[in-house]
Amino acid sequence: MLFFSYFKELVGKEVTVELKNDLAIRGTLHSVDQYLNIKLENTRVVDQDKYPHMLSVRNCFIRGSVVRYVLLPQDGVDIDILHDATRREARGG
Amino acid sequence: MAPGLQRFTDIAGDGGPRLDAASGEELLRMDRAASVALGRRAPEPPGTLFVTTRRVIWLSETEKGQGYAVDFLAITLHAVSRDLEAYPSPCIYTQIDAEDGSDEEAGGSDFEANGDLQLAKVSEMRIILSDPGQLDALFDVFCHCAELNPDPNAVRNEENGWSGGENLAEGGWIHGDEDMIDGNDLEAHMFFTNLIGQNGVRDLGRSVRELQIDDQRFEDAEEEDEIQENGH
Repeated sequence: MLFFSYFKELVGKEVTVELKNDLAIRGTLHSVDQYLNIKLENTRVVDQDKYPHMLSVRNCFIRGSVVRYVLLPQDGVDIDILHDATRREARGG
Repeated sequence: MAPGLQRFTDIAGDGGPRLDAASGEELLRMDRAASVALGRRAPEPPGTLFVTTRRVIWLSETEKGQGYAVDFLAITLHAVSRDLEAYPSPCIYTQIDAEDGSDEEAGGSDFEANGDLQLAKVSEMRIILSDPGQLDALFDVFCHCAELNPDPNAVRNEENGWSGGENLAEGGWIHGDEDMIDGNDLEAHMFFTNLIGQNGVRDLGRSVRELQIDDQRFEDAEEEDEIQENGH
């Protein structure tokens, strides 16, 4: 549940979601569920020249299974807390 | 992988689609006078849209008994599109998990090769409702249905940037929570990174490795075995 819990903390922050089809969408993280499905608001496509038709989209739902990366805001990563969380997770607790 | 867009001709006596009641499929929403546009093609003449707990079905009015269906498993992205400069009608925009060779290029009309419509290669579909005010409600239904249809057999992705023998990283999420049944594998191949991009991934990966080396709690092989047993 580590990622789910972690992503929940990022709600309201600006993230970039890169899909396995190379489409990268930047937007405000609206919500995330246990399958890591992601809802973004105020989206914009990073590579607008390649995907001009996606310009029209302002909010979108992305299936968790097609997400390749989630790029986080730099201040959204607290390495110490992340280390603790990964250790707890690895210990089964 | 779920099949992409498919032709649908299984019409019940009432003129609607015959659903798979045995698997619990239920109709959640119906929109009359709805059009679909496949890829860059012009919208089809209006028909009826059916949203079920498992898939989206559209039936033509002009060509009775003809239609299309796509499982929510294959709908990888959906969104409300309202910018009339980008598309002339407000619509629900969807991306479909299509066969390779679809529209990776900007052109995106390969699925019409030889004049035949190769539905399995359609990677984009727009749904245009007669009442654009209903688009948000339809969007919400799509979200709900996507959550009803998690991937049944998400396979571990060996491209995982954190692989390479770090049992700490691997053991943790794969064998961890029982209630993450379908999410486990997704977690396995999502990486933390930050706006620095690649460097961020590498730095974090190195930090995780250092953690293992430096932290005595993880040097005990017996404990690793114990973790795995507990996880199952």
